[in-house]
Amino acid sequence: MSTSSDSRAGPPVRVAVGRAALFLAFWLMSAGYQPADLPVGLLAAAAATWASLRLLPPTATRLRLSSLIMFSLHFFRQSVISGIEVARIACDPRLPLRAGFVVYRCRLRSAGERGVFCALSSLLPGTLPTGTNEDGDLLIHCLDVTRPVVASLTEEETLFTRVLRHD
Amino acid sequence: MNTAIDIFTVVAICAGAAFFMAGSVGLLRFPDSLTRLHALTKADNLGLGLIVLGLLPQADSLLGGLKLVAVWLLVQLASATVAQLIAQALRHRGRGT
Amino acid sequence: MTEFLLGAAGFVLLTVAIGLIRVLGGPGNVDRTMAVQLLGTGGIAALLLVAAATGVRGAEDVALGLALLAAFASVAFVNSAAPEDDREAGRANE
Repeated sequence: MSTSSDSRAGPPVRVAVGRAALFLAFWLMSAGYQPADLPVGLLAAAAATWASLRLLPPTATRLRLSSLIMFSLHFFRQSVISGIEVARIACDPRLPLRAGFVVYRCRLRSAGERGVFCALSSLLPGTLPTGTNEDGDLLIHCLDVTRPVVASLTEEETLFTRVLRHD
Repeated sequence: MNTAIDIFTVVAICAGAAFFMAGSVGLLRFPDSLTRLHALTKADNLGLGLIVLGLLPQADSLLGGLKLVAVWLLVQLASATVAQLIAQALRHRGRGT
Repeated sequence: MTEFLLGAAGFVLLTVAIGLIRVLGGPGNVDRTMAVQLLGTGGIAALLLVAAATGVRGAEDVALGLALLAAFASVAFVNSAAPEDDREAGRANE
């Protein structure tokens, strides 16, 4: 997974410092600040940074902050709807399930971006990605296949693409 | 003021508990593993979100509140990743069933 | 408030227990992985409720740890449970 990315020139220091600061902040939040414990926190943050740079090497893709906030709000609302919908189906005496698979052609090419999109869409109403078929299309399991699943996924993907900025 | 906050907490936690129950009802009633996975991830996630929301005003410090949000974010991230992995494994085993 | 929070924790645990009975019934090991998911979400919710009710400081840290462990356990288990040829197919698709 990381072998292909290792050929990239050494990780930009800025990214490493930024990530280390984030990890240290998280450590301080979960462990609380005590001067005597700080070396442990610094060590933990350093280890976490090393692991994150190995597993998720910095790429040219940046996030657009304004779109990210809009997308987060939209996504948050959708995931609430998704929970309500599944609860409604489960408690409906008629159990209105029309479950099945829908093939979705994902336009995102990079494996990382696809992974994030799949993770997001697994929390969207009625959809659950189950991997790819032989043609590289996503197989989405749906609670109700009569819904316009492909159209709403296309919309979600467009919104998601707007958050990414390729330098 | 304090009563209003307490009422908010009670309402949010009751709603969260209701979603946990709906998730379990779904687990019992849904006919196959993949649909059960929908019930498990979506309903329970919302349940946890509502319970965290209800507990936030009861947190005794900002740090405590941040920790609650961190737990919720971690669970959200984990279940989004794991749900599709389990779904993929289920599909490979069942080949469509 | 304390009684209400503890009661809510008990209720959530009860729903988790009911779900566990169904999920542990299988039919396959992959289905049983859902038990980890169920405990990961429901168990954490109950733990947070108990933490708020009793004021025990460490309980939230346990919840944080459980959230992390549940994720890693599921990923590791799904990887080991999937037959070898499926994993190869998955890799070829990437």
